Amino acid sequence: METGGLEAIFLANRARLLRFLRAHGAGDAAEDLLQELWFKLSRVDTGPVAQPLAYLYRAANNLMLDRYRSVRQTERREQDWVEASDAPVSGLVVISPGETRLIAREQLLAVEAELQLLGDRTATIFRRHRLDGIPQRDIAAELGVSLSTVESDLRRAYRAMIELRGRFDEV
Amino acid sequence: MTPDQNIDNAALNWVIRMQDPSFDGWEAFELWLEANPAHADSYQAMAIADQDIAVIAAAVPQPRPALVLQPVLQPAPRRRVPRAWFGGAIAASLAVVAGYAVLETRPAPYFVETPAGVARSLVLADGTKLDLNGGTRLRLDRRAPREAVLERGEVVFTVVHDDRRPFRVGVGSASLVDVGTIFNVSRSGSLTTVAVSEGAVVFNPDREAVHLPAGRSLRAVDGLGTIVLARTSTAAVGGWRSGRLVYDGAPLDDVAADLARNTGLAIVADPAVAGRPFRGVISLNNNHTALPAGLGLLLGVKVVRQGDGWRFAAETP
Repeated sequence: METGGLEAIFLANRARLLRFLRAHGAGDAAEDLLQELWFKLSRVDTGPVAQPLAYLYRAANNLMLDRYRSVRQTERREQDWVEASDAPVSGLVVISPGETRLIAREQLLAVEAELQLLGDRTATIFRRHRLDGIPQRDIAAELGVSLSTVESDLRRAYRAMIELRGRFDEV
Repeated sequence: MTPDQNIDNAALNWVIRMQDPSFDGWEAFELWLEANPAHADSYQAMAIADQDIAVIAAAVPQPRPALVLQPVLQPAPRRRVPRAWFGGAIAASLAVVAGYAVLETRPAPYFVETPAGVARSLVLADGTKLDLNGGTRLRLDRRAPREAVLERGEVVFTVVHDDRRPFRVGVGSASLVDVGTIFNVSRSGSLTTVAVSEGAVVFNPDREAVHLPAGRSLRAVDGLGTIVLARTSTAAVGGWRSGRLVYDGAPLDDVAADLARNTGLAIVADPAVAGRPFRGVISLNNNHTALPAGLGLLLGVKVVRQGDGWRFAAETP
């Protein structure tokens, strides 16, 4: 979609998006964040967007997650260890989202071990869903299992992974 | 179930549902967020944790085609080299091949190549010492004496540091710049590893600019978008020069590539075991033909004869 088309939909749904940002806890910053959102969107050549409103919502959601992340990162100073050579290798360091990520090998091994612990089927379902972006129904068909199996495996896998991420911070 | 657990469960469901590219429940999600300020907190924390883990999970090796290693032949196969630089003469595979520049302004590259199993050392004009492991091909340039391009194999660079003219190593699409340094670089297929034993290097100064001090190592696969950092014993860096390969969790396909380079034997790891981490020390002696048999026990794999070489396979239960 050309920026013009997306802009029309953005303007028509300005109030809804504002409400969404506030629901996300944007508070007084909601207006500024909406400006920032449009500034970012207008600089990206998106190509055709099939569902422009859903696209705007997702972009707004990602903006709020980025904001949450940067607030937390300031708190934690997760990048310190890169400079300090004798600090332990821990903490996930994300260098400008969308670009190259740095990963500590301890964490890589921990995720690998967790996937093994989940078992082949659950790990495969998780990979297909989270990494390959395959819808749940398609995964069920692909593996010849029921949709409810995929659903419950995904809940188990996502929960295990999110809890694992929490443990990284405790180190 | 406590109210907090209820919130967490609901938040988790949203994280999972939104992963579907065609997710369109935004208004329902908004209503849920508005119902309680704690909902946004729970959702955001989980969604961020999920993003973090996905970055790592994407870098976890999974069953995939085996890493493509150069078939290890002795002598190393001749390669086509642009005639303009070489006047058509290519010396034997072991030799340092000198280049003849057609024009003064053009680069004057020459290649140093070792067959698998045969290591070599050389000292550049500035005193920088290069220890080449077997199976290595390194491009140097007479007009750019502070540059080297590692096409494949493994080299320990003991760089004579010069603040005004840092030494630069190209490897794959990345580059390394020394900060007063001894470091080991290896390249096989699309995999690059770097380990620093003294000083520091900067990986990709123009992009990620990862500062690697002594005792740190880095592993990057072209196009993967992730770089794995680890600690390493400085004494172990370039240990292959004294026949000691030291590992602290390196995947078995790295181990196989190292062994192939060092011994000249064709050694590969099956996809099923290629990603398994290995911790331990492999001592190499001159009797390489006896080596693979003993490796199975050490690495916890079955070592199977394959053609002229060996293959690491999963133990059949």
